[in-house]
Amino acid sequence: MSTAELVALMLTDGRLPTGGHTQSAGLEPAVRAGLGADGKQLADVTTYARDRLHTVTRVEAAVAVLARYITHSHQSEGLRLVEGAWAARTSSQVLRGVSRRQGRAYLRLAGRVWPEVLEHLQADSEVPRPIVIGVIGAVTGLSAEQVARIIAYDDVQSVVSASLKLLPVDPAEAATWLAGLHDDIEELVADVSPLTDIEKIPANGAPLIDQFAQNHATERMRLFHA
Amino acid sequence: MHETRSFRLGVAGPVGTGKSSLIATVCRELADELRLGVITNDIYTDEDARLLRSAGVLDPDRIRAVETGACPHTAIRDDVTPNLIAVEDLERDFAPLDVVLVESGGDNLTATFSPALVDAQIFVLDVAGGGDVARKGGPGIARADLLIVNKTDLAPYVGVDVEQMVKDASEARDGKPVIALSRTDPASVAELTEWVRTMTAHVRTGGHTPVDPGPMAPHSHVGEDGTLITHVHSH
Repeated sequence: MSTAELVALMLTDGRLPTGGHTQSAGLEPAVRAGLGADGKQLADVTTYARDRLHTVTRVEAAVAVLARYITHSHQSEGLRLVEGAWAARTSSQVLRGVSRRQGRAYLRLAGRVWPEVLEHLQADSEVPRPIVIGVIGAVTGLSAEQVARIIAYDDVQSVVSASLKLLPVDPAEAATWLAGLHDDIEELVADVSPLTDIEKIPANGAPLIDQFAQNHATERMRLFHA
Repeated sequence: MHETRSFRLGVAGPVGTGKSSLIATVCRELADELRLGVITNDIYTDEDARLLRSAGVLDPDRIRAVETGACPHTAIRDDVTPNLIAVEDLERDFAPLDVVLVESGGDNLTATFSPALVDAQIFVLDVAGGGDVARKGGPGIARADLLIVNKTDLAPYVGVDVEQMVKDASEARDGKPVIALSRTDPASVAELTEWVRTMTAHVRTGGHTPVDPGPMAPHSHVGEDGTLITHVHSH
């Protein structure tokens, strides 16, 4: 029997075929802009991941929580409203495109693994990733906390694992950073999981992250999509 | 086959063996008779795509680069999602296409395409990599649909016996085709384009079943009724 716990593990496993290996959660352009000071200031990676948890990732997790809630409450137009709220809070066109591309990858997989998702989302459409995750959460019985935790954990893990490719980082040290961010992740989970009102989705932004993403899109030498 | 579905042809092989150059050759020779598209998977995004675009052999919009997060093997094997999306978008935007060539990022001898991404694959070696590489074998060398021994014009300068290298490769391949290629040798180029032409027709008529070269024997392919058949060949 499938359990919500196992679904949550699957969704945060980097081996799940959703193109996660192409994502650095903005770390690559940030490193290019000086984060880490050419490897002399590796603690920047943790600070960057924490800043994301306080800003863009908080918004993303809240959107996923609302998408899950709306799917449960059978408001068919509701997901469009959530998408509008997400778009209004995601000011970089590049980052909206990145999220839709990732959402499409998740939706593609979910349509095969959890076909009930397609009762709520159109197959192969470019739906923002947190909305797809929220809908998967709804049809597989994940709690709001689990959905928020998946978004937060995955974001931190994307940053930390990309740091291994971008900076001279010891992998065991990186895992220690990840463990060190657990409190911040749980704080985010506690903040956003009770949300049931689209208007209450936080609107924290990180203009530099937006700017880096815009620069990255036209960068020639790229390891990561974003 | 769905009307907008192209023949998806993978090109894999170690770094520097001439995958991009082979694709440029195929485009140059066949762009007038087949509707082509190209997806590249370079480590640093768009180097190969730029090379192909600047070669002027295909409309630059039909050449797209996919990022691999420095994991070229993952991109063609464990998680083909970004590549599949790119292929399908290209097929949709330029429908109908006859062939989409997917170029793997240069990897090692073990990297082969998943049959979920391509219908057939070419594995590229070159004489400069050493005459003994073909004899060493590996899934791509032994079981790709076509093996290329490239840059044969360099053989005299690197002390490689092309005939012997092709013979070794043929023995490792149980009769599957091997082409000794040089872009300066029109006969070998004609052999390559004829293979692509024949394979395209074969795939289009539904006569071809994608075979997974696999990481090693035993290997698997999908049977006519859609079931997965796994077995060990006698070679």
